[in-house]
Amino acid sequence: MATRRAFLAGLAAASMPGMSWAEAGDPTYLAAGKQGADFVLHGLSVAGESIFHLALPARGHAATAHPNRAEAVAFARRPGTYALVLNCVTGAVQHRLTPPDGRQFNGHGAFSAGGDLLMTSEVLAEGSEGRIGLWETRRYSRIGEWASGGIGPHDLRRMDDGRIVVANGGIQTDPGDRTKLNVDTMRPNLTLLSAAGALLDQVELPPELRQNSIRHLALAGKRVAFAMQWEGDLADPVPLLGLWMPGQGPRLSEMPPEAVRAMQGYAGSIAISGNGALIAITSAKGGAATVFDAGGQHLATHHRADLSGAAARARDVILSDGLGAFWACDAAGLTPLARAEVAWDNHLVALRA
Amino acid sequence: MLRAVAFIIFVASPVAADVTAVVQDHVLPGYAAFDRAAKGLAAMDTCDIEKLRPAYQGVFDAWMAVAHLHLGPSEEKGRGLAIAFWPDPKGQGAKAQRALMLGDPSVLDPVNFADQSVAARGLMGLERLLYPQQPLPVDPCPLIRATSGDLSRMAAEIDQGWVDFGQTLITAGQPGNVTYLTAPEANQELLTQLLGGLEFLADDRLGRPLGSFDKPFPMRAEARASGRSLRNVRLSLAALRAMAVALVGGIPQTLAAFDRADALAAKLDDPVLAGVADPKGRLRIEILQQAIWATRDAVLAELVPALGVDRGFNAEDGD
Repeated sequence: MATRRAFLAGLAAASMPGMSWAEAGDPTYLAAGKQGADFVLHGLSVAGESIFHLALPARGHAATAHPNRAEAVAFARRPGTYALVLNCVTGAVQHRLTPPDGRQFNGHGAFSAGGDLLMTSEVLAEGSEGRIGLWETRRYSRIGEWASGGIGPHDLRRMDDGRIVVANGGIQTDPGDRTKLNVDTMRPNLTLLSAAGALLDQVELPPELRQNSIRHLALAGKRVAFAMQWEGDLADPVPLLGLWMPGQGPRLSEMPPEAVRAMQGYAGSIAISGNGALIAITSAKGGAATVFDAGGQHLATHHRADLSGAAARARDVILSDGLGAFWACDAAGLTPLARAEVAWDNHLVALRA
Repeated sequence: MLRAVAFIIFVASPVAADVTAVVQDHVLPGYAAFDRAAKGLAAMDTCDIEKLRPAYQGVFDAWMAVAHLHLGPSEEKGRGLAIAFWPDPKGQGAKAQRALMLGDPSVLDPVNFADQSVAARGLMGLERLLYPQQPLPVDPCPLIRATSGDLSRMAAEIDQGWVDFGQTLITAGQPGNVTYLTAPEANQELLTQLLGGLEFLADDRLGRPLGSFDKPFPMRAEARASGRSLRNVRLSLAALRAMAVALVGGIPQTLAAFDRADALAAKLDDPVLAGVADPKGRLRIEILQQAIWATRDAVLAELVPALGVDRGFNAEDGD
């Protein structure tokens, strides 16, 4: 039961205009990580320099940033039983989100353009059918949900016009321990939802590629780039990047065999440079990043242990790794930007994506 | 299966890892020997496969001493994968080679050939020409020469490339080193090679032909046509053991585990691992596979704390 003090504090927080990102030092990115024995969330400059850091109670997966207020929502690792709304100026945990009974957070979330709605990727614990959880953002209370259009939704992104793209990864997992239950029959898809949650468009991969889980997304205008993780034989020559213009079919990017092998059939993060010219995907499993041009033509594959997070910069892409480094990545190579004694976690989140 | 705890630990006072010894005593001599062997094969003025086969076996032997090194010059331009394109479950190599044999002969010119798919080139490409399992559509002589020459070119490029890359590894963490930003990163890179090599041995070289009890795949053994499947397992074990010894001293569990695995391999008497398809032979290969996993676990138990690093924070985690 809420105490009188918590109630009043909540009332005060809800009625306050909220602190702006400028008050938090105007970070460009958010990244979770492990620092010594502690889990942290950092706000970072465009050069990967830490601007602020907050404590997290456990290992995070991804975060999403409120468009105006200095608030970050940090999602727990799958199967996610909670997400935290953090005040990035004070470090206070303002709200703790718990999915309704029988649902689990599945890694990612996105705010509406005005920031009054938070959408979270979720699964029904039994069967992994996908939901998009809806939360109003004054008190972060649950106000409803939509069908995600598939099994095991992971990443979701909002387009400038308010429509939502969902990567339904297709993988049914054990609610307790992430064990994959349907690798032989999985059918991932990309789903486009209206700003009100209506299904507008949906595409699947060709039958021989249905074990390629569509998991992460990057947007450039109405163009969707998606990154996949192959659940079949790692020696198979499969695409890991696809491009989708809603209304058309998906286009899969061919990679030379040495690039597929270097990536170990796995793309963990994806980003498009601000000018739209470069697309990069990372593979922590392979210790590699692969760079494509805007049309999905393979340009280069670079090697670096434990590369994971990826986010846009103006003309290139910034990558983070588990050894603490940030890199500028383009077709020519990786250039070190900054380093900290932090093992950077899966994702690097751009505030103005 | 055991997996490393997935975070990086910087232990208070790790034993000094000898990155220099790995480079100078393991990597550089290994690539130099491979380069010599590949040059010798390329220089042979014959297409008589009976004469070429012993030289081919020598080149493959030399490659096995360095095949586990997936870093630096062997990863540039896909060289390492071109030298040994295996596994190849979709038969990309044979398809690409057929196109080369039947197509415009100018693709066999050295400059053009270097741009052909990694699947068509290297040791596995040569194996299909020197130990053909099906009749070849045309005289393979021009392709044999092109492939041998290309292999020798790649061997020389890797050997040369390591002059600089060895220094990059040895000077990890020093000012100006933009590849390895701290000294422990070099340790971690080498540990990754060792663990990756052991896993490839157990999961692929043995695991692919083993398949499952109901569905073994004896035809999927590596370098089966040239009769090298078991030989590659033993040479790889020897190479990985030598790398571990150079990297850090005082690792008795690890060395005992390597020796036990090799003793089991030595007793197998099954050069192409055909035994995967019969219950008795299969059991012995599974026991060898378990011994290699045990070696991997010994490396994790002994070398990880000794080197003060661990496997990747994200690499072992997934999303």
